[in-house]
Amino acid sequence: MPIAKTDRKPPRVLLDKKRGDQLFSAILILPTLLVTTIFILVPVIDSVIKSFLEFKVRNIISGKPGEWNNFENYIRLFNGGKLLPAIVTTLTFVVGVVLIQFILGMTLALILNSNVKCARFIRSIMMMPWVVPTIISALIWMWIFQPQYGLLKYIVGVLTGGAVSDFAILNDPGTALVGVAIAALWKQIPLTTLLLLSGLQNVPDDMLEAATIDGASRTKKFFAIVIPYMKSVISIVVSMAIIENFKQFPLIWTMTGGGPNESTTTLAILSYREAFVSNNLGSGAAVTTIWMLLMIVVIFLYNKIFPKEDMS
Amino acid sequence: MKRQELGLNIIKYVALFIILLFLLFPLYWVLMTSFKTNMEAYRSVPTFIPAEPTVQSYINLFTKNNDFFVYYKNNFIVSGATALITTVLAILSGYALSRFHFRWNAWVTAALLSSQMFPVVSRMISLYDLMNKMHLINTHPGLIFALTAAMLPFTVMLMSSFFDGVPREVEEAAYVDGASRLQVLWRIVTPLVKPGMLAVAIYAFLMTWDDYLHAVTLIQNDALRTMSAGVAMRYLGELSYDWSLINTISIVGTVPMLILFFFFQKYMVKGLVAGAVKG
Amino acid sequence: MKKYMKLTAAALAAAMALSLTACGGGAGSSGSTATDSGSAATSATGEEAALGGEEVTIKFANYALLESGYTEFWEGVKTGFEEKYPNITIEWVTAPYGEIVNQVINQAGGGDMPDMMFGESTWVPTLVDAGLAIPVSEVFDEEYLNKFDQNALESCMMDGEVCGLPMYDCAFMLFYNKDLFEQAGLDPNTPPTTYDEMLEMAEKLSQLTTADGNKVYAFGQTTSSVAISGSALNSMIFNFGGTVLDENGQLSIDNQGFKDAITMLKTLDEKGYNPQNAKLKDLRQLFATGQLAMYYDQSWGFNGVTTINPDAANFAASAMPLKGGDGDGASMLSGQILLYMDNGDAQREACRLLTEYMLTEDVLGDYIRNITPAYPVIEDMKDMELNPVLEGARDATQNAVNSPSIPMLNDLNLELCTLAQNVTVGGADVDTAIEDFRSAAQNYVA
Repeated sequence: MPIAKTDRKPPRVLLDKKRGDQLFSAILILPTLLVTTIFILVPVIDSVIKSFLEFKVRNIISGKPGEWNNFENYIRLFNGGKLLPAIVTTLTFVVGVVLIQFILGMTLALILNSNVKCARFIRSIMMMPWVVPTIISALIWMWIFQPQYGLLKYIVGVLTGGAVSDFAILNDPGTALVGVAIAALWKQIPLTTLLLLSGLQNVPDDMLEAATIDGASRTKKFFAIVIPYMKSVISIVVSMAIIENFKQFPLIWTMTGGGPNESTTTLAILSYREAFVSNNLGSGAAVTTIWMLLMIVVIFLYNKIFPKEDMS
Repeated sequence: MKRQELGLNIIKYVALFIILLFLLFPLYWVLMTSFKTNMEAYRSVPTFIPAEPTVQSYINLFTKNNDFFVYYKNNFIVSGATALITTVLAILSGYALSRFHFRWNAWVTAALLSSQMFPVVSRMISLYDLMNKMHLINTHPGLIFALTAAMLPFTVMLMSSFFDGVPREVEEAAYVDGASRLQVLWRIVTPLVKPGMLAVAIYAFLMTWDDYLHAVTLIQNDALRTMSAGVAMRYLGELSYDWSLINTISIVGTVPMLILFFFFQKYMVKGLVAGAVKG
Repeated sequence: MKKYMKLTAAALAAAMALSLTACGGGAGSSGSTATDSGSAATSATGEEAALGGEEVTIKFANYALLESGYTEFWEGVKTGFEEKYPNITIEWVTAPYGEIVNQVINQAGGGDMPDMMFGESTWVPTLVDAGLAIPVSEVFDEEYLNKFDQNALESCMMDGEVCGLPMYDCAFMLFYNKDLFEQAGLDPNTPPTTYDEMLEMAEKLSQLTTADGNKVYAFGQTTSSVAISGSALNSMIFNFGGTVLDENGQLSIDNQGFKDAITMLKTLDEKGYNPQNAKLKDLRQLFATGQLAMYYDQSWGFNGVTTINPDAANFAASAMPLKGGDGDGASMLSGQILLYMDNGDAQREACRLLTEYMLTEDVLGDYIRNITPAYPVIEDMKDMELNPVLEGARDATQNAVNSPSIPMLNDLNLELCTLAQNVTVGGADVDTAIEDFRSAAQNYVA
């Protein structure tokens, strides 16, 4: 057909352009993909493989490959009685920190969005803890929590009229996790607030005004207009916080090392201890594998319960 | 009505005050402690303003414990290089993901997003072995690569959101003038996303400044250590604590980051919001 | 869309890994920087002839260089030794105390094995198990080794071979504050000898407060989760005549001594005598600032005390470990030792020369008298004058026992800490806690 024949030419040019684009795009992406694959994806896969092997430090030194050990690492973990508490501790930590972080961050964001005096200035100085390196935030809070000379011990002593004179939050298995969580919140609340605040600023004013004219109460406006408008921002903020706290390591390791009495041993601590303190890399890899699975499940459930529209 | 308003305002300011106290007082406290002597720091009734202010621990830090500045310098090298490489790679991939829509984009995005999720410890176990084979262990380039990989997922998304904001018409005009794809990217589009580049670079710098696990595992030579690792290892010694020194280190280790942040916060804030929403 | 991508991410990663895991292998990086040692004409002694006058660099892994108070001594050793043997250079490999073992292991994994290491007797099992530390008989002749205190040598025994050479040793011993004893109306020159006496004194001591109102703890025993605390706890079990392992390295905890020691920890905690969850460095800090009347530590811990409070020597004294239950107050020997790794004859020979140079009163005497208080282990130094603070526990090393070495000693020690925390801050009763310990510890014994 003649029409078809003439029609053939332009697509060819398009195809060439497309091919060129394809090549160009691939070249642009390649370095990133290479770096990510070599330094993240391969090691992760490799550690999953190692989790099924008898692989200790000796193997690294002698260059001997690990040996398949019939799920020994996993069996030992499940029977060792440390895995389950670590999972519970991790989940407690994540849920607790994320929840409080969201509540406090939202409160602060709402206040800063409500014609408060010096809002810009406050927004900028409140970001300070976010910039403090994690190790240093651990040291700051360790100093405040110090059992003999710490500020918190003094404050608790004064508030209770001297009844509690030796409050050492990190030394009591019942409160140590709270102590670490406080430090985590301190560092994370600023970013949460900032992101929520930017979400709040995108809520259209005219809708709020219209609602005010209709006589809607503050709470009603908040839940009927503000929250739905911020759904995607909230969902992102929360999932970022979940990931961040699931992965939390340096803070806990520096502040408590997982103690006292294993009360702050999260999966991160357990895997690091198995791999780099007990020098049993296979067993450490088994913990991280379980940890990653758990994380995928949590993120999946979260996305299931709070589906978000595609922003892009 | 008026009264209710007033009450609400009071509650608002009280809440603001409490949250800000929580966020800012610890920094004040550390600053104050750094000006105390150890014996004053150990008083059971703390002094809120140093009774006998001293800069002794700063002097000690600069004279006796100056290994700290080796860590400091290393951290600048590592974070600086990481920020630079990350920015370049993020521009390339961000542009590709933003402009060219191919089927593999979804896969690339998935790979990046998933690698952001994996805990660092999980890859450290193998990365050590791997780096060893590539002769990258105990070197700054090795650490820089590993950190760049950790930074890429977020920064690529961030960069691509900035490219999304550049109207296509600009490029099409250039193509009509006969510019090649690379020319369009470098000469036309990249200059338009300078704020994005700054946001990416500063983000990468701040985040790698914070790195601990990579440095602890991949660097064993004290002369090559970065700050977090160096501080945790060196100044939390087994024999004893020196809290004045630790507090001084906290201040000296944080101040440059604060300056950097305040200087560039306009880009940072915009970038963080854009990146998070996109990622 | 996004969650779908997240789910598929793992599969994707697997596919990519398959194509990329084949990364080239190769010999490790041997970054041995052959520092020039001047190479000036040397007076060729017979020993140097053994090295053929060849330039040798000893890579010496040493955490002590990072601890204030130790650095000068070790730098002095380097200067003095390099002066005496100009063809040998010492190159330090440093990492902090808690990391040095990992560092050496990792470095060896990278093909860059140090030649020598300064460490503790409890590190022997890990380093032997990793295939690093070699028997000292491969470095020294029998005649030289016979000069050492046999008990001290045995503390470095693993699988029937002595794999570390003690430089000096001590037993976990009691330090006490004479000033606080006086304030409590006790005789500062009669420290307690048994746990019962200690508890009596502790009652009075715990009533005290410091000048600025801080509480005084009566008795400190470390329980924090670090391996060294596990050794301290093991030593306390020995005080009561108990055991943790039998001589075959099997778990052996069904004895009264073990139970008594754990019960004592609980008692100390309930009475508030023992600072909770403390590391040795916490105890040192409290002791240095006059807030702790008595505590168990290794002799060199006193260095940590004096760095915080230089005047501590005026009030501190040492005493024999306490006797408890049916025990005779035996405690655990611990030594600071040298470990050797095999990088060939020339390196070994250089390490031998360095060791023999160091273990003399000229070089080491001042160090173990004034800097790191400890007891000598080599015959040549037996009569040297000790640090006055150590006099009170002079015989403790003679009455000390060695714990059998098992490869996973570190983990077992950490479990002991967990047990101690369980009965103290965890509030568990002694029997339950011991059963928890048993099931956890079973994983670490052969």
